[in-house]
Formats: sequence, C-alpha cells, structure tokens
Amino acid sequence: MTKLHAVLFTPVLVLAGIAVPMNAAAPATEVAVERGFTGTVQPFVATYCTSCHSGEKAAGQLDLRSYTTVDSVVHDYARWNRVIARLTAKEMPPATAKQPSDADRQQVIDWIQATWQNEARLHDGDPGVVLARRLSNSEYNYTIRDLTGVDIQPAREFPVDPANQAGFDNSGESLAMSPALLNKYLLAARDVADHMYLNGTGFSFAPHPMLVETDLDQYCIQQIVDFYERQDTDYADYFRAAWIYKNRGVLGKPKATLAEIAAQNKVSAKYLATVWQALDAREDAGPLAKLQGMWRALPVPKANQPDLANDGAVQMRDFVSRMRLDTAMRFASPGVKGLSTASQPLFNWKNAQYASHRRDFDRAALRVEGEPPPVAPVLPLDKNGKPVALGLVGTGPNGEDLTPLRAEIAAYTSRMANPDLVVPAGQRPRYEAAFAKFSSVFPDTFYVKERGRFYPDPGDDKGRLLSAGFHNVMGYTRDDTPLKELILDDKGQKELEALWDQFEFVADYTARTYVQFFFNQSGEILGNGRESGTLRPADKDVTAEAIIMNFKTSYLDFVTKAAAQKADPVAFEAVAQHFERVNAVLRGVERERVTAEPRHLDALMAFAARAYRRPLSAAERADILSFYHSLREKSGLTHEDAMRDSVVSVLMSPYFCYRLDLSTSRAQPSPYARASVATPAAPLSDFALASRLSYFLWSSMPDAELLAHASTGDLHKEPVLTAQVRLMLKDDRAVGLSTEFGGNWLDFRRFEDINTVDRERFPDFTNALREAMFQEPIRLIGEVIRSDRPVLDLLYGNYTFVNPVLATHYGMPEVTGGPDHWVRIDNARDYQRGGLLPMAVFLTQNAPGLRTSPVKRGYWVARRVLGEVIPPPPPVVPELPKDESKLDMPLRDVLAQHRKNPACASCHARFDTFGLTFENYGPVGESRTKDLAGHAVDTQATFPGGTQATGLSGLQTYIHANREKDFLDNLNRKMLVYALGRSLQLSDEPLIQRMNTRLAANGYRVSALIDTIVSSPQFLNRRASSDSSNATPRKAAN
Amino acid sequence: MAKIDRRTVLRGMGVTMCLPWMDSLSAFAATPSAFPKRFGVLFMGCGVNENHWSAEGNGADMKLGLSLSPLEPLKEKINVVTGLFNKNATGQGIHPAQTGQLLTGTTISKGAVIHSGISVDQMIANHVGQDTLQPSIVLACEQPMTGYHETNFSLAYSSHISWQNADSPVPNEVYPALAFDTLFENRGSLRNLSILDRVRDAAQTLSRQISSTDREKLDEYMTSVREVETRVDSMRKNQEKADDLAKLKNQPVLSMPRPANGLPEDFREHTKLMCDIIALAFQTDKTRVASLLLARDLSALYYPFLDAAPEGHHAASHNNLSDGYERITRFHVSQLAYLAAKLDAMPEGEGTVLDNSCLMFTSSLWVGRTHNNSRLPVVLAGGLGGTLQTGRTLDYVDAGDENRRMCSLYLGIMDRMGVKVDQFGDATTRLANL
Repeated sequence: MTKLHAVLFTPVLVLAGIAVPMNAAAPATEVAVERGFTGTVQPFVATYCTSCHSGEKAAGQLDLRSYTTVDSVVHDYARWNRVIARLTAKEMPPATAKQPSDADRQQVIDWIQATWQNEARLHDGDPGVVLARRLSNSEYNYTIRDLTGVDIQPAREFPVDPANQAGFDNSGESLAMSPALLNKYLLAARDVADHMYLNGTGFSFAPHPMLVETDLDQYCIQQIVDFYERQDTDYADYFRAAWIYKNRGVLGKPKATLAEIAAQNKVSAKYLATVWQALDAREDAGPLAKLQGMWRALPVPKANQPDLANDGAVQMRDFVSRMRLDTAMRFASPGVKGLSTASQPLFNWKNAQYASHRRDFDRAALRVEGEPPPVAPVLPLDKNGKPVALGLVGTGPNGEDLTPLRAEIAAYTSRMANPDLVVPAGQRPRYEAAFAKFSSVFPDTFYVKERGRFYPDPGDDKGRLLSAGFHNVMGYTRDDTPLKELILDDKGQKELEALWDQFEFVADYTARTYVQFFFNQSGEILGNGRESGTLRPADKDVTAEAIIMNFKTSYLDFVTKAAAQKADPVAFEAVAQHFERVNAVLRGVERERVTAEPRHLDALMAFAARAYRRPLSAAERADILSFYHSLREKSGLTHEDAMRDSVVSVLMSPYFCYRLDLSTSRAQPSPYARASVATPAAPLSDFALASRLSYFLWSSMPDAELLAHASTGDLHKEPVLTAQVRLMLKDDRAVGLSTEFGGNWLDFRRFEDINTVDRERFPDFTNALREAMFQEPIRLIGEVIRSDRPVLDLLYGNYTFVNPVLATHYGMPEVTGGPDHWVRIDNARDYQRGGLLPMAVFLTQNAPGLRTSPVKRGYWVARRVLGEVIPPPPPVVPELPKDESKLDMPLRDVLAQHRKNPACASCHARFDTFGLTFENYGPVGESRTKDLAGHAVDTQATFPGGTQATGLSGLQTYIHANREKDFLDNLNRKMLVYALGRSLQLSDEPLIQRMNTRLAANGYRVSALIDTIVSSPQFLNRRASSDSSNATPRKAAN
Repeated sequence: MAKIDRRTVLRGMGVTMCLPWMDSLSAFAATPSAFPKRFGVLFMGCGVNENHWSAEGNGADMKLGLSLSPLEPLKEKINVVTGLFNKNATGQGIHPAQTGQLLTGTTISKGAVIHSGISVDQMIANHVGQDTLQPSIVLACEQPMTGYHETNFSLAYSSHISWQNADSPVPNEVYPALAFDTLFENRGSLRNLSILDRVRDAAQTLSRQISSTDREKLDEYMTSVREVETRVDSMRKNQEKADDLAKLKNQPVLSMPRPANGLPEDFREHTKLMCDIIALAFQTDKTRVASLLLARDLSALYYPFLDAAPEGHHAASHNNLSDGYERITRFHVSQLAYLAAKLDAMPEGEGTVLDNSCLMFTSSLWVGRTHNNSRLPVVLAGGLGGTLQTGRTLDYVDAGDENRRMCSLYLGIMDRMGVKVDQFGDATTRLANL
C-alpha cells in the first residue's frame, strides 16, 4: 500500500461525518472553546492556510480568513469537517507548502472535535429554525388531489420551485412568494373552484370544469350510466350462482348462505333469492316450467368442478332472452290529429309505458293451437306502392306512430319460429298466467341507457345516453324500474335516486328541456308545424307556473277539438300528466335549491376545516359565513357564484397554502429537550404534527384518521405514532415520498421535461419511454418503502419494475397492457439491470445527448448516491466533442488524458472512474457492446484507492466493501433534511448517528430510518422563540 | 427612435384621454395604424337565397345583389368572398355536422361526447384578450338546442359557433342586459378583488400571532396580495377614469342605456341591442373580439314583420329561392350593415373604428334546399388597420379544394391580428390574394 493510497483512502471515512466521536471527554466550557479558537486555531490558520485559502479567489472556494468567531465555524460545520479530514490525512497544507508540526496539527484537530462535541451536547435535539412556508408546487397538487378527490393539478403551470442547499424544494429556506406567483395561485384556485358543483346535500368536484351546460349534462349522465353498468344484469351469472348454491355441499361450502354466494360471485343477493325461488319451484306450464326443466337438467359437479354448469347457464339465459325478445310489449304515442307523434306530451307518455311494463308481456305474442296464425304485419304503402319510409320521427302517412309496427315486423319471424309461444287450445288464460309469472321475474330488460327516435329499433341513433329519443331538442327518459325493483337493495336504490336527483339539481334538465320545447316545438298547437316555437313572452321567465299551466290548457283544448275526430282518449291523460309533471319537477327543484343552501354552507365549513388541516374556531366560521353573505348582498352574486368565490377564498387563505403548522409561538418549557435552556423547544400541537407527518410521508394533507387522533390528542404518543407511520407507508399516497424525496435526492425530478436526446438518432426515445424511465425509480423506491425492504436494495437489488415500453427498451420479455401496467422483474441482472444504478433515467439524464458521459455519470454516483461534496470545475475547461461517433479514440481514453492533469485530477480522480463502469450503457441507457463510433466498450475502471473493477457488478462490489457507510449516511442525512424541511445543523449529528446505528441494527429497513426521524425531538418539537407576542398562542390549533 | 409626425402626436394626445390602451407615445410608430384591431363574426344559419347573393366588380363599381344591397353605402369597405368551404363539414350529414366546425375547421364527433376544436375568434381572444377588460364577448339572439339530430350529431354543434377548446363551446349570452353588464365590469376581476381583500385581512390578523421570522415569510405573502390587488384595481380605475374624462371632454364616446332585463319581444330590437353592445365594446376597447349568433343552424326563429314563411327560418330555408327567404337573408345582412355603419361613424386616428376592424358575416350553408355547403357565403367588412384591402369581390370557386379553405382565410385574418400560427383547422397555407 503506497503512501498515496493511504492518503486517498482515509478521508473517505471522515467525510461520512462519523468522525465526531461522542466520547465522554470533559465538557469544554464556552470560555475554553473561545480561548482555543483565538489562541490556537486562528494563529495556525493565519500561518499555514490563508496564503491560499483567503479572499475572493480562495483555493477550493474555502476562505478560512472569513471565520472570525466560533459561531461562524459552528454554523459552517460541514465545511470544517472537510478541514479536519484534510488535516488528518496530511493532505493539507500541500507537500510543497510550509508544514506545521504534528503537535500543532493535532491541537487544531482536537479543538474542532471538542467544539463539535460541545455544541452537539448543548443542543442535541434542537428542532432548529423551520420557517413557515408556502406549499411547494408538488405539495399543492397532491393536496388538491386529496382535498377535492380529483387530480386537477392546478399547479402544473407554476414556475419550477427553487431548491435549498440539500436539493429539496420543501423548505422555507428557498420557497418564497411573489406577486406573479400569487396571481398564478389565484388562477389555480379559480381553476379548482370551476370544477366544483353543488348538489342537494353539499358540493363535490368533477374531473373537468363544471361551468358549461354540456359539461354538467355529460358528468351527471355518465355517473348514472356508470352505476347501471356496475350492476350485474346477466341472467347467466344468476343461474350459475344459483347452481353453485344448489351444489354448495359438493363444491366445498356446505354452510354458505345464498347471500354469501351472491357476494362471492358479485351478483345481487336480492335478485339471486328471487331467481332461486323461481327455479326451485315446479310450474306445470309455460316458459318457467321449461326453464325449471333446464335447471334440473344441469349437471351435478364434483368437488373441483365449479364451472361445470357454465354452458348450461348460458343456454338458460339465451332461452330467457329469446322468450322476452319475442314477448316484449311495444307502445305507440297516443294519436291526436294535428299533433305529431313526436309531440312531447304524447311521446313521453309512450316512453313511460315502456318503462312501466318491462315485467309484463305482450299477450298478442301468444298463439293458440288450431287458430289461424297471425298475418305478417307490413308497413303501409305509399302512392307508388312502396312501403312508406318512417320519416324523421317514425310517423306514418296518417300521422300514426309507426315505431311499434316496425318492431312487430322485426319480431315476426322470430315469433313464428318460436314453439314456446304456442298455447294448447282452450288454455290461453292458464298460459297467460304462466307467462305473466315468468315475465315478472325476468324483465325484457333491466334498464335502458340509450334510446333513439325509433325505439325499440336503434337505427343510427347510437350513443345517446339516457336520451328520450326526441328529434333535435334535448330530453331524457328514466327507464330502470326492473333494476330498482329486482336487483338493487335499499342502499343501491338510494344511491340511484341520489344520482337522478343530482342530474336534476346540477344540470336542471327538466327546465332546460321545457325551455327548448317552448322555443322549438310549442308552436305546433298554433298550427305552425312540429318544429316551431312560441314567441317569447314579455316576462322572461317561460318556466313560470302560469305559463306551463297555460300550455296545459291550450293543449287540452287542442286535443278536445281533435277528439271529435277520434283522438285517443289516453291523449287527455298524457297531456295533463306531462305538464303537471314538468311543473311539479320545476317547483320541486326550486324548493330543493332553497333547502340546499344552508347545507351548502355547512359543506363549505367542512371544506375549510379540511383545507386548513384543523378544526375552525368560532370566529373563523363566522368570518367565512359573513364573507359569503357579503358576496350575496353587497356584490350581488348568485348563490352558486358566491359559493365558488368562497371556495376560492379558502384556497387563497394562508391557512391553506402555507405550512403555518411549522410556525412558532411564545416560549414554553419543554419536556422533550434534553438540553439546557439554550434552545427552548415546545412540542408541536397534535394538529401540527399531523400535517408534518403527512407532508413528510405523502407530500399532502393529513387524512381523517390522522386528524381524528389529533382531535383525541394521542397522535404524539408512542404506539399511536408508530402505528400511523406504518399505515401511512403502506398507503398509496406514499408515492409522494418516493417521487418528491427520491426525485430530488437523485436529481431526476424534472426528467419528464428533458429534451437533450436527439430523437432522430434515438427514435426509441419517445415521450412514452421518457415517462416510463421517470417512473422506474419511483416504483422501486416505492416498493422499498411499502414492503419495508432494506434500503440497500436500492444499490444491489436484483429486481426492478418495467412497463411495456421500458421492457422493450431493456430487451426484457414482452409486457402486455398499457403504460400504467407495471410488472416486477426479479432477475433483472440477466438484463444488466437491478437497483438504481443502471436505471435508464440516470444514464440518460447524465449523458449529453449523443454520447455517454462517464464524468457526469460518475459525478452523479459520487455526489448523489454517496454524498461526496465536490467543488465545481474551474471556469476554463476544454470541451469534449458532443457526438461520440466523431471521436477517433474511445471516450475513456480521451478522459484519461484529463485525469493526467494534476489540477483536474484532484477532483476527477474521485469520480470519473465510476462513470466508466457504465460504458456498456449508451446515451439513452440502452445496453450495448459497441459505442457509436464502433469501438468495443470497455467497462474496466480503477477506483480511488486503486481497486480495479469491471462493470456494474464491479462498482457494486467496490461500494459494498468501501463506501456503503457513505451511502447510508448520505441517505440518512437527505431523509432528515427532507423530513424536517430545513438544512442540517451541528446539533443534528447525534441524531444522525442514532439513525445510522438503528438502521444497521434493523437490517437496514426503511421503517427503522423513518421511525427514528419521526420519534426524534427535532421532529416532534419546534423552536419556541423568545419573541414576545401580545396574543396568546392560538387555541384553535390545539 | 421612430419618427412620429406632429399631427399624429396631437391627435394622440386627445385620443389618449379616452382610450386607455394608449398610455405611451411610443405606441405611435410611423406605421399605417397603431390602433387596436378588432374581429367580429356574425352568423346566420341555413344558407342564403343564391339567386340574390352576388357581387361583381370592385370599388365604387361594385354591383351588389338584392340580399347584399344593405351594404351599398359601405361597399368600398367590404370584401365579398365566394367559394370558400370547410372540407370537414362536407359528407358527414346535414345541419349540425355542417356547423360544428364552421369556425374551427376540425372534424367533429358523433354521439355522446361533443368534440370540435378551438374557434378562430377564441384563438384570437387568447392572444389579444389579456389587454382588454373582456377577452371576448360571445352573444346570440337565439337560445341553444342540445338534443340530437337524426344524423346522431349533437345539436350543440348547431347552437354554438365559438369554441373555447375542443370540448367546450363558449356559452352564448342571449340576454342583452347581461351582455351590457359584462362591458362595464369585469365581474371576474371585481370578484377577485373581494377575495384578495378578505384574504389580506385574514393574513394581517394572523401575522400578529406568529413569531418574527415567520412574520417575514407571511409578509412576502401579504405584499404579493397587495401588489396583485393594486394592479387589478388600477386597471379598473383606469377604465373608469377614461370614461369620466371622455364625458368631460365631450368626446363622441358612444353611450347607451342599460337594456331592460329579459328578452325583447321584437326580434329586431334584440339584434339591434346586440349590435349596439358590440359597437360600444369595440369603440371603448372593452374587448377586441366578438361573435354574434343571429340565428342558429336549424333556427326556429320566425319573422312576422318580414312576411316570410310562418313556420320558421329553418323550414323556410328548404324553400330558399322564395322571396320570403330572400327577405330573411337580407334582414340578417342588414344587421351587418347596421353594425358596420355604426363602427364607421366612430372616428379613430385618420379613419374609423371600422377601418381598424374586420367583421365577418357567414352562414353554415350555401343553399338550404339541397343542404349544399360546398361553398359558403362570406362577407368581410373593415380593413384591419390598412392590412386588409377592401372594396373587392374575391372568387375562389374554381381555385381547387386546397386553395379555397375557410381556415386559410382565418389564418390570414389571424396574421393581421398579430396571431402567428403555422396551421389552423385543416389549413397550413394562407388564402391567396387576400
């Protein structure tokens, strides 16, 4: 071992900061420390150091003359650690300069170490100054996601947050507010408020803005349709579940109830019971009898044959569907001469008939044996002898509704071919009863979610969700009675009612339908045709009761006149009911809006409390209400606008967008600080602790459970605290920790925006691949956190996570699915992957586009992963060529040149060679054996200290043998800075040591690291300032 | 430093007082005009009577067909453009499929989800709108329909011409009183002031309760709030001041009383009020972008005062060669003439407000009885500050489909409005000879 080797080797240990020996030396007094500084250190520095290390151009950017007090030294303790290191290693003063005696050297080293010990002991546990600050952009986005339930990301266009010295953007040290940014906050708050919608009981947020009528319709309709589609309405699933119940003994669940089997098979328990009853009985005639026959014929399974009856169940279902298709009832609009069949009162009547007869059947579908078969129905002929076209609204030449006839024509063939519709002579009543029973259990459909103009024949009118089938004007019909009656339990029924109520309340659809009717169709009773309206009245309110009732009268008069020409008597009822219903709904909605107002205000209070992350004081509640009222009364806003503005003002409040929980108040004695009164500390209130925990582990607001513990006042107590941390680390929201901590620690947070890659030369580098690269480390770190893995997995793990595009990039077996489908690869080493080091994101980020950069990659390993501090390069550095394909010798040889220069080598020797081990990964992290100029890649390297190694495994071996403590210590420090939201200070060193010890003692598991932080006085307390304030500390926060 | 001639300077002084956008003389470089340019769209659905929609010749010699005759006094300031179309509006079905992309040039979607593109007026508003009280105003004289047409396209496409983005049409303001109100108050900024005010009060109370180091951080916040408030407030005050000063100086600032609440019973009054509001907005620079839907596609309006068909505009358009439908068309063109004349009566610099504007009148069809939209009727009024030559008849009927896109016209207009984009809708090239 050469002397040089020893010199290079030793500082490494010291840099890890574990050089502060916490032994029980006699505590130095402050006076002694002061004397030591002025008497020993300053003269030493003046004699041996300041000739190079002073002034503006101080060597290594270290101006030792500027340290004139002990405090200044303590404050910059990280730098002075390096001073110890260099002195101890005898690297400084350099061999060419005047050398101090060993004794003098040791005195200075001793002084520094004693000062550290003193400081740390005096202030161990000092929470430090943690400034109140605004939320970072990411925190703002995550908080809005959790506050509203929708990932709106209003901060996506905010300017990038500056980072503090440790590289994190979650500290008051770097986060500031400016008028330009505040303006963006205002726009963001408006953006969020635009997503809000009021409903009958409070308010909610939609995934898109809810300002325009088409948005409101779409949102409410989609919620209803999604609800419908979540219900199982396939008869086959019920027959199968019934069969499982019947054979439950054999299939291994003898004690299972019908309800349990329903739950296991994800079908409605209520309907399964109905179906079971129907199947299990014995009919003697009709379709139910036949079905029961099919049921009894289903095979009996053995224990391992749960799917034996699947085909049989499908056949039963097909039978039922066929029977119902052939026996479904059809209706026509009541005829009124002079009114189109599409006239709303008449058309709605027809729709209502459909909706209320789905558990009924068409008696005309049955035919009696021996009687003449029904003649095939045909459309009437036009004057050229051709079947008449249906026109725009399905009307025939005499103004009759042809849609049921058309459906009959479509069904005729199937009916005639269906032997089960044939009734023995003289038994019609018996069979009608049987069919009635059958149809009641098996409706012709459970719900209708789409309807066109010629319903039941859809034609081209597809995708018109919940539409009434009107032509041109809007209109909706609810047709889901069998779903409610047969399938939904009480809870489901309530939910469905709430969704239809919401549709009415939010989108006001009945009123809008009526208004469109007024202006576009109501002229029909003036004889102006089907597409004409009434002239606008003097009073703008066409929805007034008087006007609606006026229509009712006019229409009834019209029908009365037409009755002389044999109008359908049902038409009277249809007309009266239509206008009565419209009026009742409109008046009901008006009343509901009035009753809902106070509920909205209650919801506003609840929203504010969640937004402020603590209960509101009585004064705050009053303030919110008074602001709302001033908006209504003084600014003349509508209730909805006033609610929106109130939401905006909550989001603009400093209680929302500032972390005031970090704020301090007057000094109080502390049971936690082990130190003297030198640094008074006060425990954080439980509400402040809840926020500190959630912003640490989730980068977002605390959830209801955390706040509940804060209310009870037991959050800071040991078992509760640890348990909550466990739950939080397993929660999906911990992605905030992996993204924000991981992303900033390893410097890839902005990777989604990089554009340094030449996409013509690397066409594989698409936005999708870039995004996948970005996600990979987040997934790995997320797994380590969630499964409480050893943190060393990050360095040595043989696994990683890929999605389809990343798998292709890595040459791994194909992964199917979309970009959000991530799979774990457990033999990643087979593909030269595994852990953080060979991840494409880092290799690409640290490569300048058209070539690799061993310098940058090596620097990243040394600086980010191992925590070395390396000063920046001097200003004049010759450029390496940009394009690797243009180099005439391999890059490593080019670099070797610049390590020969001693001015460069002093730093580059510490990291260049790490980067060389990655040469088998190209500029976008792809595996390769040749570089872009065709040279074979060579991943051999000689590391600091002389170890020779090859490739990634060589690097990993070296780190494991020599630098693992650096990695762990660096991780601890970074995590602590992130958690506390401030830079480290000297008094944190004992805590760092405890973290390192505890980590090693617990298999390096992440939870050990986090537990130590969360239970530390630094985390649980805050600095109590001696700043006297006239106000008493805020009670509300407690 | 550009030379500014004395007359412009003096005139500039007077005009500065009532037109707040001119707050520095450097605005008057020696270019043809440094006045803001305005863009407006007037829309009448269902096409024209093609026998009477014609223009021949240029300048003072231009001969206008009967339906265009209301524009006779202004013919040297107009361009009658023939033969442009939107290819995406053809072959998809009639009515909504022909209107949903009129000002966007994109394809549109059937069924439940409505989807078009951003319209040219909103595109312009996004670029120039931040300099005025309102980025744009979107008005209509007919209520929307939002059901489904037999072609399975939503009637939302027939009811709106301005689209703020591909998924949302801009809601039309149908009530004149409410349209008027938006000119005099950017309710948005007033509402923001109330919020900022209240938030600042809360912050002040808070700052008394926290430590001095934290107070510094909160101070940043309060200072920022105050700054933003001041800016918003001063913009409003400038508007008021300009209005007041204008009144003092007896400058011919158009004024109109606030319209009555509700909808006018007579359609003629409705269209007049909406045109007056646009004129006022342009003149006082409350906005520089406006769109007015006079009659929807599939319009159900009817015109008892015109002796046209009683069953309504759309039904009448199926018989578009009738005299009745010609009268309907001419009535709507006369709204363009009314608005253009009003703008032309407002002096601005060496010309008038009309000279610095471009009003585009168009329809979704050419011929209603065949639903032909292979070419659209277009009339432009105004010279956009000398950048748009006027008094011409421009014929692109035989230019070839690539060279007669409506979106090429829109690109040309956007260029002149200072909005430089490479493509819009289905066009990447500008219209030749514009």
